[in-house]
Amino acid sequence: MSDAVIETALSTRRAFAARGWREWSGTMMLLALITRAKATAWLLIVPAVTLPIWIIGSERGWLAEQILPRPADVLHTLNEMLASGELAQHAGISLLRVLLGFAVGAGAGLALGAAMGLSRRVDDHVRPLFTAIAQVPALAWIPLAMLLLGIGETLKIVVIAKAAFVPVAMNTSAGIANVPRALVEVGETFRFSPLQMLRHVVLPGAVPPIFTGLRYGLTHAWIALVSVELLASSEGLGYLLVWGRQMFWLDTVLVAMIVIGIIGFASDKLLAAVEARLQRWRTDGV
Amino acid sequence: MSRAAERAIRAETPNADQAAARGRLEVRGVSKAFTVNGAPIAALNDVSLTVRPGEFVALLGPSGCGKSTLLRLIAGLDRDYKGCIVQDGEAVTSTSLERGIVFQEPRLFPWATVRQNIALGLKNAPISEADKRAAVAAHIALVGLDGFAEAYPHQLSGGMAQRAAIARGLVNRPRLLLLDEPFGALDALTRARLQTELQRIWAHEKITMILVTHDVDEAVFLGDRVVVLAPRPGRISRIFDVPAARPRARSDDDLVRLRNEVLRTLEHDSAADPQLSPGSRRDA
Repeated sequence: MSDAVIETALSTRRAFAARGWREWSGTMMLLALITRAKATAWLLIVPAVTLPIWIIGSERGWLAEQILPRPADVLHTLNEMLASGELAQHAGISLLRVLLGFAVGAGAGLALGAAMGLSRRVDDHVRPLFTAIAQVPALAWIPLAMLLLGIGETLKIVVIAKAAFVPVAMNTSAGIANVPRALVEVGETFRFSPLQMLRHVVLPGAVPPIFTGLRYGLTHAWIALVSVELLASSEGLGYLLVWGRQMFWLDTVLVAMIVIGIIGFASDKLLAAVEARLQRWRTDGV
Repeated sequence: MSRAAERAIRAETPNADQAAARGRLEVRGVSKAFTVNGAPIAALNDVSLTVRPGEFVALLGPSGCGKSTLLRLIAGLDRDYKGCIVQDGEAVTSTSLERGIVFQEPRLFPWATVRQNIALGLKNAPISEADKRAAVAAHIALVGLDGFAEAYPHQLSGGMAQRAAIARGLVNRPRLLLLDEPFGALDALTRARLQTELQRIWAHEKITMILVTHDVDEAVFLGDRVVVLAPRPGRISRIFDVPAARPRARSDDDLVRLRNEVLRTLEHDSAADPQLSPGSRRDA
């Protein structure tokens, strides 16, 4: 262990010892850590069961090799594609599309959601149209969007943005509208200006639902990306899936699926970590 | 409270005596109706009351007598009523930093520490940042929360959270502090301790306080006057003077006698209430 880590640990301990309630909260932190480890163990159960079945199944030839390749083959292909830079290239293009589309969609969703949550009039005017648009899945917009925008990058960004936009706008408006009236009244007694109310009461109160919306939005953006790449693309992870299927390279298909899953999982965890950081007060000392 | 904290509070109000002369409240002919299922229900009917500067008035009554409604009107949180409310010659038209309020629930912002919660009360106060910091520290000390300034609300007990709420209500140095059943949700022991604390703070701050409560002991123990409200429609039924000297002891004979008298008034009111009296018919 490095000196810095030891120093941090020591100063943390000292801080805990400073006050009775802090010491108690240190114990609670340890308990929380144990609970967390248990939860992680549970998460690993399903992979721990399915992986051996896959290995045994492919060794014994339960399914034809063209349909279900052996894990070793998939791993081999994964290594090859990593080494050649092919995988990084496809993943990079997909990631860029998602980031752009998500940024546009989530940005617009936050703005519209905030406007709907804050203003009764905006909500009355916009909500019906918004609901109608939201009911049509991102995929169903593709044929129309193709005619309007062609099959270039703009199409992909627009479809991905639409997918992210809807959950972000919905959760943001609900989150802001549901900030407890009791807390808004406290702000009123302090003569908060509308801006102060937003900064000190409404936004902090709406952080959990807004982040739920952002996480849903990112998941939906990722799903829309794969769909739009399946239909209209010559590069990216979704294209890799289609191409692999057409060539009957199921190992390539599985590699693409695994990478899509890992990136989706990692990005969701990243957002969760940002949320936890913004909401330290929930866990601090418990 | 520490000496330094006391000095900080004093330094902030050089003429505390002058401030103490203010905090007069007049409620004139106030009526308020709610609409329930399309039909108007009278919550308050022609309530008039004058509160003297520095006085401690307890508004006492059963639930549904409109006492909390009256307090919200005085705070300026609800402007939809008939009649007028005047503080120090100025009509109450909205909330004001001159009127602090402590609600039944602490209503602390859960994402802010005790210090931040109290500091938020000073956002619009016309004093320097250094004075604000000193005022926050002084008020944390005033309610006995030293050492818990950096704690979040969920780490506090109910009594501690309510102390923080009281500090927040006082931090702007209002001329009038409104308390809406602030100890209603606390256990008996904590409640008694906080009542004593509140009496000490009131004596120290020399400001006007109006306390809404349904607890007869609390009203008699704390109030200079006890205003008994009767329900349906909410109106003043009787006003008791509490002459007992301060600091008061709960076992004081005069207080016990007065308590029994107030209780009889409440019982008499409820007997006259068609909805509560067992002898009356429902449709009467």
